[in-house]
Amino acid sequence: MKWWKSKIKQKLDFENQKENALKYAEESSNESSNQFTGDYTVDLELVRKEIGHNWDVQFREFQIGNTGVHAVIIFVNGLSDKELINNHIMKSLMLSFSEKSYDDPSFVKGAVSKELIKNQVLSISELTEVYDLKGLVSKVLTGSTALLVDGMSTVLILGTTKGKSRNIEEPVSEALVRGPRVGFTETLSDNTALLRQHGDTRNLSIINFQVGRRTKKELVIVYMQEIADPNLVEEVKKRIKKINIDDVPESGYVEQLIEDNYLSPFTQVQNTERPDRVFGALMEGRVAVLLDGTPFALIVPVTFSMLLQSPEDYYERWLPSSLIRLLRYLAAAISLLGPSLYISFVSFHQGLIPTKLAFSMMGTREGVPFPAIIEALIMEVAIEILREAGLRLPKPIGATMGIVGGLVIGEAAVQAGIVSPIMVIVVALTAISSFAIPQYSAGITLRMLRFGAMFFATMFGLYGVVLFFLFLCSHLVKLKSFGVPYVSPTVPYRASDWKDFMVRMPLMMMKRRPKMLHTKDSIRKD
Amino acid sequence: MLISSNDKITTSQALVILVNYILATGILTLPRTSVEQVKTPDVWISVFLGGLIAMIVGVIIVKLSQQFPEKTFYQYSQDIVGKWMGRVLSLLIIVYFFTISAFEVRTMAEVTGLFLLEGTPTWAIIMPFMWVGLYLIIGGVNPIARLFEIIFPITIVIFLIVTFMSLGIFEIDNVRPVLGLGMLPVLKGIKTATLAFLGPEIMLLIVAFMKKPDKAVKVVLVGLSIPLIFYVITVVMVIGALSIDGVVMKTWPTLELMRSFEIPGLIFERFESFLLVIWIMQIFATFTITFYAASLGLAQLFKKNIHPFMYGLLPIIYIIAMIPKNINDLFKFGDMIGNIALFLFGVLPLMLLLISKLKGRKV
Amino acid sequence: MKLNYYNIRLLLGLLLFLMILLLTGCWSSKEIEDLGLIVGTALDIENDGGSWEEQDGEYSNRDLITITNQFVTSETIGTGAKEGSTQQKAYKNVSETGDAILPTLRNMILKIDKRAFAEHSKVLVIGEDLASTVNMQQLLDFFLRELEIRPSSTILIAKNRASDTLESKETVEIPAFQLVEIIKGYERTTKILPPMTFAKLDGKLHSGSSFLLQNVVSEKGEVKFAGAAVIEGKTKKLIGVLNNKELEGITWITGKGKGGLVKSLDEETDQPIIYEVLSMKSKIIPHVDGDNISFDVNIESEGRIAEHWVLSEKPFNNEFLKRAEKVSEKEVEQLVKNTLDKIQKEYQVDVSGFGNRLRIEYPKVWKKVKKDWDQTFSEVPIKCKVKLTIKDYGTSGY
Repeated sequence: MKWWKSKIKQKLDFENQKENALKYAEESSNESSNQFTGDYTVDLELVRKEIGHNWDVQFREFQIGNTGVHAVIIFVNGLSDKELINNHIMKSLMLSFSEKSYDDPSFVKGAVSKELIKNQVLSISELTEVYDLKGLVSKVLTGSTALLVDGMSTVLILGTTKGKSRNIEEPVSEALVRGPRVGFTETLSDNTALLRQHGDTRNLSIINFQVGRRTKKELVIVYMQEIADPNLVEEVKKRIKKINIDDVPESGYVEQLIEDNYLSPFTQVQNTERPDRVFGALMEGRVAVLLDGTPFALIVPVTFSMLLQSPEDYYERWLPSSLIRLLRYLAAAISLLGPSLYISFVSFHQGLIPTKLAFSMMGTREGVPFPAIIEALIMEVAIEILREAGLRLPKPIGATMGIVGGLVIGEAAVQAGIVSPIMVIVVALTAISSFAIPQYSAGITLRMLRFGAMFFATMFGLYGVVLFFLFLCSHLVKLKSFGVPYVSPTVPYRASDWKDFMVRMPLMMMKRRPKMLHTKDSIRKD
Repeated sequence: MLISSNDKITTSQALVILVNYILATGILTLPRTSVEQVKTPDVWISVFLGGLIAMIVGVIIVKLSQQFPEKTFYQYSQDIVGKWMGRVLSLLIIVYFFTISAFEVRTMAEVTGLFLLEGTPTWAIIMPFMWVGLYLIIGGVNPIARLFEIIFPITIVIFLIVTFMSLGIFEIDNVRPVLGLGMLPVLKGIKTATLAFLGPEIMLLIVAFMKKPDKAVKVVLVGLSIPLIFYVITVVMVIGALSIDGVVMKTWPTLELMRSFEIPGLIFERFESFLLVIWIMQIFATFTITFYAASLGLAQLFKKNIHPFMYGLLPIIYIIAMIPKNINDLFKFGDMIGNIALFLFGVLPLMLLLISKLKGRKV
Repeated sequence: MKLNYYNIRLLLGLLLFLMILLLTGCWSSKEIEDLGLIVGTALDIENDGGSWEEQDGEYSNRDLITITNQFVTSETIGTGAKEGSTQQKAYKNVSETGDAILPTLRNMILKIDKRAFAEHSKVLVIGEDLASTVNMQQLLDFFLRELEIRPSSTILIAKNRASDTLESKETVEIPAFQLVEIIKGYERTTKILPPMTFAKLDGKLHSGSSFLLQNVVSEKGEVKFAGAAVIEGKTKKLIGVLNNKELEGITWITGKGKGGLVKSLDEETDQPIIYEVLSMKSKIIPHVDGDNISFDVNIESEGRIAEHWVLSEKPFNNEFLKRAEKVSEKEVEQLVKNTLDKIQKEYQVDVSGFGNRLRIEYPKVWKKVKKDWDQTFSEVPIKCKVKLTIKDYGTSGY
């Protein structure tokens, strides 16, 4: 009886902690909502107490012109544009101030008016006012400069943010032969700009949210006003609002917090670095989620077939794209079921393979000390380790790893008689197949499930593989991504959606947007 | 407890459910059972007629169900014949459903144990199968319908490919003469053939789930034509290859047909594995839908949540499946189910339909 | 969709269940390299089964059967692949004697280290002596019942000892495969029957009709197909043999051949003319008149002159073609007549499908005569008409 008591106690403790945390958050917010008094020294002390201990926060005290009025600017070293501060804030306040202000009728010696500074002195485009410490701190820490002037209870916040952003490059994880060489960067405004750039985008709605209880990161959801299903947009908004976590370092967090079924091995949110891909999805009526600080945008809802598609499918002509798509489905099937079929034929149904093949399998497996499943496990695990190792190493060494691992170990293992050559072929084929899947996360899913299939095959042979397939399908048909069945358009049958499923029909024929998304405007072209 | 709107299925889904339910054990044994009765190569005519009869029965069932929109048999039977009688009838049908699902599971286990997994105990074959089935039906009728939609095209494509590959050993002389001994032998086989089309009874429940119940008649007609074509092709091909005298000797003639030819040069020389794969899928379909139908019945009868009934039925189905001692017992078991079904669904719906019409007029 | 607790519990339960299953192990798995693939089987009658009785401590006064299985194992393949043609053979024959099939086969377990696996069995050769003493239905019961034996494998009759046909001088060849490959030649000659598989045999045995099985002779380590064995439907025993010529006659009657030659002698010059069959069609037309049954056989064929030794004539000349057609027709007629004589008069069995035609055309009559059909057949008048057409003569007009 004791264990559940302790469990309840744990639960209570947890609740308490949660409450405390909330209280703390409230208290701290109360504390920092201290209004500025207008008394220079008091206010400055207030700010210093809050953030003055930080090495990178700079306080530059000076006097405005030759009025003798004390002022201080506060900014974060590195986040703010020093050039801007020097030329347009310091210079105008210290040097140019006197000439201008003596003429001003509102000028009173020993004091400066807010309006004067705002309207005539500071040549800075982005300017806001804050009245309390909280507002000041959050602005300063994101790169703005705060200007505190003696006698003014309003603090001016000057937009001097100079984000550390990198140049726009081609995305590494989604390289295409044909298509724009543009990828998202870590800066949200750059990313939204990339989307806006696409053309006349009156329709493009970019709605802002803040996520992360403590870090308050910027997050936007993007959709086409006239296309996207309003219910879908509402659902996305609802789920984003529900996110209650202290920090979201990457969009992967958002993905995991808004997906439908966290127990499923399948990814229910698509991620991409490509603006063209996002835009394509938007035009189909989907919704994208972009987070500040990561180049990976999220697209919802996602269906299984999307994971096997690439934007290139639409850029190339329809015939090659269709064939390539079919190839990918084949690759997915091999990647999922390859080793398990091998196991079931070698260990169970030797009668179902062609005689000549049976002979050669028998010959190659002669002397291999392990049953097929162990053999397969050894090789599969080895190749997964190789892949992981190759990923982490610097590029030049990574290539060497591939050669050492793939060629030397594979060859040596066969020579040593630990595995059979056919097994090496099967494993290599499945590995390559899994990399032919455009979505990295989908490839991982299939590789993971492959081991499940192998265990089923070890127990029940072909019957096990069929069972596994049925099990997998049972799971897939239950899965939904934001209200859209995951396996659509396979099921429920929607003939018009099949035009863009396993094959990509000519653009001439794709006149409608996917029906499964219930778009407001379903006509793509007439 | 009416059915919520997101549990509705489309017309094509209803069709697929019906087809997948019908295609099951019959496809492996029908050539033998019907030839045993008919003894001439005219078996396919019997099968054809059997299909037509099943269509008539199906239409009656649909007409009955359409009288009570949005209601399953378990609910409206009480409206027709009164509370107690209706409950008894519903219970009968529930028993029928889970018995047939047990029968399917056992047959699957027998065939799998014979052709794929010699030496694996029956319980080990049955249990994972039932678990996967349970996992599916917990999601309700919609996931079932969607899964069937995945299985259905796979079945059709593989079946047609595999069957037409056996054309190599097809001998037209084996299916001739047509009606050489007149209609009498053909008529003898009709009952057996009709039993292969067991399945329209699912319409007692499915109509209530349909988005457009008025299309149910069409569903029954098309849904029976597809198995009809399947069966006729199967019977003709099997007899054409193995001859009448060969077929009666085989326990599983259709599988025997697949084993009787090899096409070297193609990656797969042998094709029975394909047939077995789609057949296991079809059995899975039949098993899940009957399992679901039975649990739905219990849930509606007792007006409770459906999930406990699903878990509860699992061991019962398992025990029933393990009852037949050998393969002959199993076949007898199947015949028994067939006879019950003939009464339950051949006679009963017609009576109920008449009663409800009479009652309707009075009101 | 929200995950309810049922789902999670079910998933976990399933996982647990799977783990338990894994612990219990994999019942049916057997690794491919541990198998000895049986590719061919030979059945012989044993006249003195001396050693067997002593070892097994049983005695039976029934006919003893020697079963020879041709195994291909990972060892026999491995050596062949790695060191080229060594002394070791690509196959291993193992024999065992007993009075029923399966117990004898099971006794083989005592002899070989591999698990015998017959799914890849291609051919079953039955010795002539055995086939003529034992009922085929009884003999083959095991093979028709056993799951591992595929219905697609072929049955042959061996003239002498069947086990000899599974021996070969060549070490790299597998004799059972050779036999199967030779059978495929039926598309190019009239001297080989279309393969009789277990699938077809089952129907034949059950229907009680007589049929032919391809005969094979083994001489000095070489196998050769020669004629066909006649199995009588009633006793299901071998009652005689047709030679190559008669087998050709059967092929012409059934019209099942796809190619082949007709060698005839030119009437004027006595030199051979060879007619190559391009297509062959035969129609057996039954006539029923009261209780009298008779048959017409119409054989039609198109072909070419493939070779002729008649120096004085050219095929450019239509008259010569006519002459060639005529002698070839005569030759075929002769073949058919000889064959009919043999099967009607000597063996008194219908092995060329006359009964089948009667069944199709006159099902009611067939029902009556079915029981004693072989007897009836031996007295049925059969008329034969042959029509050959020479379409071309290759690239040479001489």
